[in-house]
Amino acid sequence: MATAALAFSPTAAWAHADAHPGGGFVAGFLHPISGLDHVVAMVAVGLWGAVLGPPALWVLPVAFPLVMAFGGMLGLLGVPIPGVEIGIAVSGLVMGLMVLFELRPPLWLAALIVSAFAVFHGHAHGAELPAGSNALHYSLAFVIATGLLHLVGILLGETRRWPGGRRFVQGAGGVVALVGLWFLEQALT
Amino acid sequence: MIALLAHLTPTGFGPWADGMARLFLEPTELLLVIALVLLAVQSGRPCTDRLPLLLPLAWLLGGLIGLHLSAELLQAVACTAVVAATGLLVALGVRLRARVLLPSVALLATGFALVAGSALAGHPGALAALLGETVAIAVLTTLLGQLLAPPHPRWRAIAVRVGGSWITAAALLMLGWLVRHPQ
Repeated sequence: MATAALAFSPTAAWAHADAHPGGGFVAGFLHPISGLDHVVAMVAVGLWGAVLGPPALWVLPVAFPLVMAFGGMLGLLGVPIPGVEIGIAVSGLVMGLMVLFELRPPLWLAALIVSAFAVFHGHAHGAELPAGSNALHYSLAFVIATGLLHLVGILLGETRRWPGGRRFVQGAGGVVALVGLWFLEQALT
Repeated sequence: MIALLAHLTPTGFGPWADGMARLFLEPTELLLVIALVLLAVQSGRPCTDRLPLLLPLAWLLGGLIGLHLSAELLQAVACTAVVAATGLLVALGVRLRARVLLPSVALLATGFALVAGSALAGHPGALAALLGETVAIAVLTTLLGQLLAPPHPRWRAIAVRVGGSWITAAALLMLGWLVRHPQ
C-alpha cells in the first residue's frame, strides 16, 4: 500500500508547493487533497480519533481546523515558523505510529499533539492562499476538504468494529507512518 | 478595506432573484446566518422556534436603514471577525439563554444588513434585491432550523459543533487574507 501510495504521488507532492492562482471554491477544495503529505496526516487525525474513541473521535476533528486556520493566519501575515516542512512530515510519522501501536494518551495530550501539527499544516497552506476576489470561497472549501479527509479517516477507523478491522486500521497507520517518514527524509535532504 | 459585501451579481431573473442569489454568493453573510442558526439549535428549542421570524425581520430592518445611507459601509474585517466568533461559540458547544441569544441575533443581523443595505443602495432595484435576500434568509433559517431542531441524536450535536469549527476556520483564514491583501 505504501509503495502504491508513493507511486501515485506527484513529483511535487508537497501540499503547499502547488499554487492555485485561480482561487475560488474549486481551487480551495483541491488544495488540501493535492499533496500526499497533507492527505495522510488529515486521514491519520480521523484514524487516531477512531482508535481513541469518544470524545476524542470528534474533539480532534473539531480542534484541528481551528488551530490549522490559526496557523494559516500566521502564514498569511508572514509570521515565520521554522521547520514547517519537517513539522508536516513528522505529523504523518507520529500520528501514523500512534495508530499503528494504538497508543492512547490522555485526551488533552492527544489534542495538544494534533493541534501542534495543525499549526504547521495551516502555516504552509496559509502562505499559498491566493489573492483574488473569492478568498472566502477558497477558505471555506479548503476547510471542508480538510474536514472530509478527517471523515475518511474516521470511517476507515470505524472498521475496527469488524473482524480483521483492527489489523486493517493498524496497517493504515503503518502506511501513514511510512509516507511521513518518506517526506521527512525528503525534507531533511 | 476591501468592498467585500458590495457585489450584486446579475442572475438574469431580475433584482429579486439577484438578492436571493446574493446570500449564496457572499459567503460572509451566508456563514453568519448558518452560524446563528447553529448557535440557536445548540441553545435549545425556544431559540430555534423564534429564529425564523426574528432573523429575517432584523435583516429587513437593518437593510432598509442601510439603503438610505449616503455612503457605503465597508466593514469586511469586522464582519468576518463576528462570523469567526459566532462559529467559535458553536464549536465550543456554548449554550446561551434565549434572553441573551435572541437580542444578540437581532443586533448582529441588523448590523450585517446595515452594511449589506448600504452596498445595495447604488444598484437599480435595490429594495427588491433586499427583499429577495431577506426571503432567502427566512427560507434557509426555517429549513435549517427545522432540520437540526432539538431534540436530536448525539451525532447531530457533534455535526453542529464541527460545522461551527469549519465556519470559524474559514473566517480566520479570511481575516488573515484581508490583512495581507488590503484593497
